[in-house]
Amino acid sequence: MASQLTAPVGAALAAEVEDLLGSAEPEGIYRDTRECTGILLLAGLLLLSPPTPRPKSVR
Amino acid sequence: MAEQAQQESTSLSAVVADVATGVALALEGECGSYALSGVLAQDDAVALAAIRVLGADVLAPYALHGGAARGGADETVVRKALAAYPPRADASEVSVWTYRGLVEASRAYLPGGPGGWPPEPPAESEWVRTEPWPRLAHRASQLAALSLPGLAPGLAADLAVRTEDLARGFVRAVRRRDWLQAAGLGRWLARLPDVPETLGLDAGLRYVRRMGDSDARVTLQVTAARRFHGRGA
Amino acid sequence: MTVVGEAAGGAVAGGDVPGEAAERAAADEPADPMAGPAADHALLDAMTVGALTWIDGMRPAFRLPAAAATEADPDHALKPLGELAELTHLVRDHHPLPAARGLADGLFRFAWEQTGQGELFAELVRNEPQATYPVELYGVFARAGLHHSGTEELLAVTTSLRHWRVAREDHTRTLGVLNAEHRIGLTPHADFDAVLALTGLGRCAEPWALDRHGVYGITHDVFHVTDWGRAPHRMPTPLAEYLRLWTPAWTETWLEEKLWDLVGELLAVRACLPGAAHDAAAWQRLAGAQRADGAVPETGSVPPDDIAPEDLFLGCYHSTLVTAFAATLARTAAMPPASPAAPFRESETAL
Repeated sequence: MASQLTAPVGAALAAEVEDLLGSAEPEGIYRDTRECTGILLLAGLLLLSPPTPRPKSVR
Repeated sequence: MAEQAQQESTSLSAVVADVATGVALALEGECGSYALSGVLAQDDAVALAAIRVLGADVLAPYALHGGAARGGADETVVRKALAAYPPRADASEVSVWTYRGLVEASRAYLPGGPGGWPPEPPAESEWVRTEPWPRLAHRASQLAALSLPGLAPGLAADLAVRTEDLARGFVRAVRRRDWLQAAGLGRWLARLPDVPETLGLDAGLRYVRRMGDSDARVTLQVTAARRFHGRGA
Repeated sequence: MTVVGEAAGGAVAGGDVPGEAAERAAADEPADPMAGPAADHALLDAMTVGALTWIDGMRPAFRLPAAAATEADPDHALKPLGELAELTHLVRDHHPLPAARGLADGLFRFAWEQTGQGELFAELVRNEPQATYPVELYGVFARAGLHHSGTEELLAVTTSLRHWRVAREDHTRTLGVLNAEHRIGLTPHADFDAVLALTGLGRCAEPWALDRHGVYGITHDVFHVTDWGRAPHRMPTPLAEYLRLWTPAWTETWLEEKLWDLVGELLAVRACLPGAAHDAAAWQRLAGAQRADGAVPETGSVPPDDIAPEDLFLGCYHSTLVTAFAATLARTAAMPPASPAAPFRESETAL
């Protein structure tokens, strides 16, 4: 038996439903292996990544 | 009142997860002993909301194992959900399509036949042709329940024209670690013809399953892809 | 900025895939007849000349220190010069605009001068006979017809050793070494196609499994196979198809991550493919990252005005060179067949 839908609760729940249905994309989480950052230096000669240290790009 | 609303809002996600888990387990299983009313702990506003959120997927086990045998309990609760959450005038495309999907699935899979259900609201699919692929893919992933057999044939046909773009969406979603989006896309791709071989869809579905295993909705999507279309086994 | 040899176009650039056409429609492109190919060329040319102008102003930063062949860190001392030479050589020989060719030619000559007309390489090989980077660097100049006999006599010995065949880097890097050996006229130490088959591109790695390093590997596989875009026909058809499918996905994600450097390389890859579909929206977004002075930062937003010059150089030179390179390839690939093709020029002057 469905419980009484009181106005404020019903509206909040309906809004939550719409949010879950048509949610915006979450922020991207970008990860790269740490393994190669040393190799990328000299071994990365000729355009395989510049020599400056890269900031972490996790947002 | 506000506190109760807060409690209900945190429990909606939990109920959605519970129902998703129940559906996924039923899809995994061999026999058709599933009942939607069985996976709902209570028949309250939050339960109806969860049905609305998951849409046609709450009936997915019937699509897999054959018609629902359990009395009218499932029919009753789905009707209530449809009545409680009709699409509003300003509803998003996804909201309208998921509502349609639930109505279509009810007609197709619940006993009592196609009669007596609310009318399917008009939903347009021009966006499938015109949206840039990142937006197309994200939206398609939110409509993955419509990939159930027999639902939304026009939408599926329109998406098939952009299979490569959906595949690119899969690549992008995985890079963003958006496992839910990736799983929804993977499920569409499992159904669509001519998915590029080099995408590695089967491995991708297995990968997304493991990486996203804390989200019951991810598990539901990849399980559906495997059980309905044999991909990602 | 005049654009040479343009047909006023109403036609949409060929090779669109449905997503790209939609991207254009969605990107509020002006619906006037001069949009499309002509506007794209103007943008590409502006980016190229802007980039090369900034690079030209940075010549002091490219100069080799006294200890270039001994103690200096090769990453800081030599790598920039090598990249400068590789990329300006291509622009010099392929760009339709005299202004761009002129800048590139001056920079390329400057790079050769910095090496002491090649003397540097003999010293590098003497000091580090096991290293591959001197071979890779020297190969850039050898390709342009510039030779240093002392270097080549040494290399004939060092690269013929069994030791030289010991794999020291990853397969992508080995392709670069093989390419260099070919340019110098040495016998390549391994079979190019066999090594290609072991790379990310050769294996057609799952496109979603590649991280930043993986995608850099792919772009370099493409550069080594096609000789930096000069020989796109060398790309095997299945690999070209793989690239056609997935380059747009990588381009989009790295645009979102604002890694302009890799975006530029991916746009260069795009321009190497058969059909070379032009991604106008992506070029617009990369153009947005270019500073007024022509520099393109490696990542993120424009560096602040008070940044120290050496930091600005290190943070920008690479992606700025890549931008000029990629825009040149896109420029010459994107010309519709009906318009007069820019001549592919061999070197204008004998050096």
